[in-house]
Amino acid sequence: MSAAAEQTVLDRAELDPAKAPPFPVAALPVLRNVQLRKNVAHAIDVIQAKRARLVAEKTDWQALRAAAAAIKDHVLENLGAYLEQFEERCTAAGGTVHWAADAADARRIILEILREEKADEVIKIKTMTSAEIQLNPFLEAAGVRTYETDLAEIILQLGEGEPSHIVVPALHVNRSQVREIFARRMGIENLSDEPKALTAAARNYLRQKFLLVPTAISGANFLIAETGGVVVVESEGNGRMCLTLPRTMITLAGIEKVLPRFQDLEVMLQLLARSATGERMNPYTSLWTGVTRGDGPQKFHVVLLDNGRSSILARKKERQTLRCIRCAACMNTCPVYRQTGGHAYGSVYPGPIGAILTPQLEQLRHAQSLPFASSLCGACYEVCPVKINIPEILIDLRAQVTDQERKTAGKFFDPMYVAMRSANLIFSRAWLFHAAQKMGRIGSRLFTRKDGWMHSLPSVGAKWTLTRDLRGLPRQTFHEWWAARERGAK
Amino acid sequence: MNAVASSREQVLGRIRAALRGRQNSAATAGQAAEAYAGLARDYTMRGELTVRACQERFVERLREYDAEVTECAPEELGSTIAALLAASGRRIFVAPHGLPAEWLAAGFEWKIDQDLPAEEIEKADGVVTACFCGVADSGTIVLHHSAKEGRRVITLLPDWHLCIVRASEVVETLPEYFDRCQVSGIRGQKIGNEGTREQGNEQTGRPPGLVTWISGPSATADIEMTRIKGVHGPRFLNVVLVKDGEQGPGNRE
Repeated sequence: MSAAAEQTVLDRAELDPAKAPPFPVAALPVLRNVQLRKNVAHAIDVIQAKRARLVAEKTDWQALRAAAAAIKDHVLENLGAYLEQFEERCTAAGGTVHWAADAADARRIILEILREEKADEVIKIKTMTSAEIQLNPFLEAAGVRTYETDLAEIILQLGEGEPSHIVVPALHVNRSQVREIFARRMGIENLSDEPKALTAAARNYLRQKFLLVPTAISGANFLIAETGGVVVVESEGNGRMCLTLPRTMITLAGIEKVLPRFQDLEVMLQLLARSATGERMNPYTSLWTGVTRGDGPQKFHVVLLDNGRSSILARKKERQTLRCIRCAACMNTCPVYRQTGGHAYGSVYPGPIGAILTPQLEQLRHAQSLPFASSLCGACYEVCPVKINIPEILIDLRAQVTDQERKTAGKFFDPMYVAMRSANLIFSRAWLFHAAQKMGRIGSRLFTRKDGWMHSLPSVGAKWTLTRDLRGLPRQTFHEWWAARERGAK
Repeated sequence: MNAVASSREQVLGRIRAALRGRQNSAATAGQAAEAYAGLARDYTMRGELTVRACQERFVERLREYDAEVTECAPEELGSTIAALLAASGRRIFVAPHGLPAEWLAAGFEWKIDQDLPAEEIEKADGVVTACFCGVADSGTIVLHHSAKEGRRVITLLPDWHLCIVRASEVVETLPEYFDRCQVSGIRGQKIGNEGTREQGNEQTGRPPGLVTWISGPSATADIEMTRIKGVHGPRFLNVVLVKDGEQGPGNRE
C-alpha cells in the first residue's frame, strides 16, 4: 500500500468556519476530483428519485408543509416559554436539564457529566450538533474515547474524514474506499467491498461496545414541551442501542428543536423521512421521557444549546432558518452542492441550509462567502418541508456581508464599490443615464466584434469577460426608437 | 452549579431580548395557547379507505420494506405463531411478561422478560410481542412498551422479531394513531372503546412516555445508497395480522 493511502484514504476537510477557506477556494480541489463528484452525484440521484416518488403519492404534502412551518414559527415566537415548559416536564420525569450558552459551555457540561460517571469511553448516535461544537476531538483530548455508531459516522471516524452531508455524512465515500478503511482499522483480511459485507463488519465491530459501554451521547430530532419527551429518528438501530443499553444518557439538542405537543409529531414525522431518505417512515423512531424504571438508562441529561441560535431569532426575516428539521432535501436538490459536495462549505452544515445557517451561527464573523455559494434558483425552497425561503435569506445575508465589507478600510477605492457608487449616481438621474448610454455605445464599439459580442474587456472588465461574453450595445435605445417612430407618424 | 444557572439566565435572556420581552408574562401564555389552537392544520387527518383496503395497504407497505406478513383468523393465532416459530428454525425466544399465555407455543424455550439482563436477551434467537397500533399509510408498527409489548431492549437485541397486530389496531393515517393516544389531543377528540386497551397511558389522558415506531427491519443505505437490511436492530421483522373483524375508529366500511 502506498504511504499516502496508509496515512488516510479521505482528505481531511476543514469544517471549522473560523479556519475554513472561502467557498470558491475550497470548492476547487473538489471540482477536480472526478471520483468524489461521481460518488456525490450517484448518492443524491438515488435519494432524489425516491423522495420525488413518495412526495407525489402524498396528496396533502403542501398542507403538511404549511402546518409544519406554522408550528415551528409559533414555537420560535414563544421559544422561552416552551423551553421552560420542556425543562419543567423533563425534570419532573427524572431527567436533568442543562443550558449551554455556547459550544465551550456545552463541551464543559458534557465532560463534567462524564467525569462524574467516571466514563473513559462513550458510544454516540449520529448528531450534527455534536459535530458543530467539535465535541469528539475535545473529549479525546480529555481522555474520553468516543465511538461513533452510525455506519456513515464509523466510516468517517475510522477513515479520519469529515461529514459532507447531514443525513448521509459519508456519501462522498464509495464502497472500495470503505472496504479499505474497514480492512485496515478493524484488522479484517479478505473483506469484500459488497455493502452487505461491510455493514456486517460494522455490526460485529460495535456489538460488544453496545453491550459494555455504560454512557451514551445523542442528539435530538424533537423535544416535546408538553411531556418533556425527546425524539430520535434513525434507521440502523444503533440509536436504539445507545438509548436503551447504557446506564447514562446525554442528549445534546439545539434550543430550536422543541415542539409544543406530542401530537405535533404527526406533522413532522410525515415530512421528515420522506424528505430525508425517501422513505414513508424511517425504520426506527424512538421517544423517551426522562427516566423509566426498569427500561433504559437510569440517568438522563439534556443539554440545551444556544451557540448563536438566539441571535438568529432576533432577525425577523432570518428567523425561519430555525425551522430547519435537518432533512437535507435542500442539499440533495441543489445544483451547486451537486457539483461541489459538502466539504467546500467549510462547515458541518453544507448545502443551501448551511449557506444560511453557518454565517448566522457565526454571526457573520466567518463564512461570509457562503451566502454567495448559490445560483438563487429556488429549488431548495421548493423542496423544504418547513418552507424556509432560503433564496430570500441568501439575498438578505449577501446584503449584510456587502454592507460589512463596504465599511472596512480601503474598500472605498475598490473598483467594485466605485462602480456601484457611480451606477447609483447615474441610475437616479435620467439625463445622466441617457448621456452614459450614448458614451457607452461609443466606448463599447471599440470592443464589440463583428458577431455583435464583446469577448474580452480591458482592466477590471477582464474579470467579467474571462468566463462570460457581453452583448454589444444596440445602435439605438428603445427610447430613441420610440421617439423616432412618433416623429415619423406625425 | 452557578455557571449552569447563569448559562440558563443568559440563554433565556437572549431569547427574551430577541423577541423583545414578549416572553413569560401570564398574558402571553394565554395568547400563546390561543395562537397554538388557531394554527392551520389542513392536512389529511382521517383516512378514506375501507377497513379491508386499509388492511391491504398495511400489509403491502410492510412487505415493501422487507417485513414478512402472515394473515390469520383470531382462532388460528396460536397455531400460526407456532408454525412461524418452527419455520424460523430458531429455538430460544424472549416474551414480555404480559404476553398472553396461549401465544407461548409449546416446543420452544421461552424466556419471560422480568428484567432479564441484556446478555441473556442477546443469546435469544427471537422475540414475540404485541403492539399498540399499526399505521397503514407508512407500514409502521407502534410500540408503547406495555406489559405485552415489552421493554425496549427485548425488541432490539434478538435478530428476529415477531409482532402480533390485531386488525382493530390498524389505522390508516399517522394522525389517527395520535388520536388513539390521547383523550384530549389537538382535535379535542374523545376516544371510544377504552376497554380494549388495558395498558398504557391512555387511561390518564396523557401522551405516552415511551414509544418506538418501527417501519421494517433495521436498515442502512450509508454505502452508495444501497439499502442493506439489518444493521444493529433485528434483521428480520415478521408480522401476524389477526383479522379480528373489529373496526378501528379511523376506518369506514
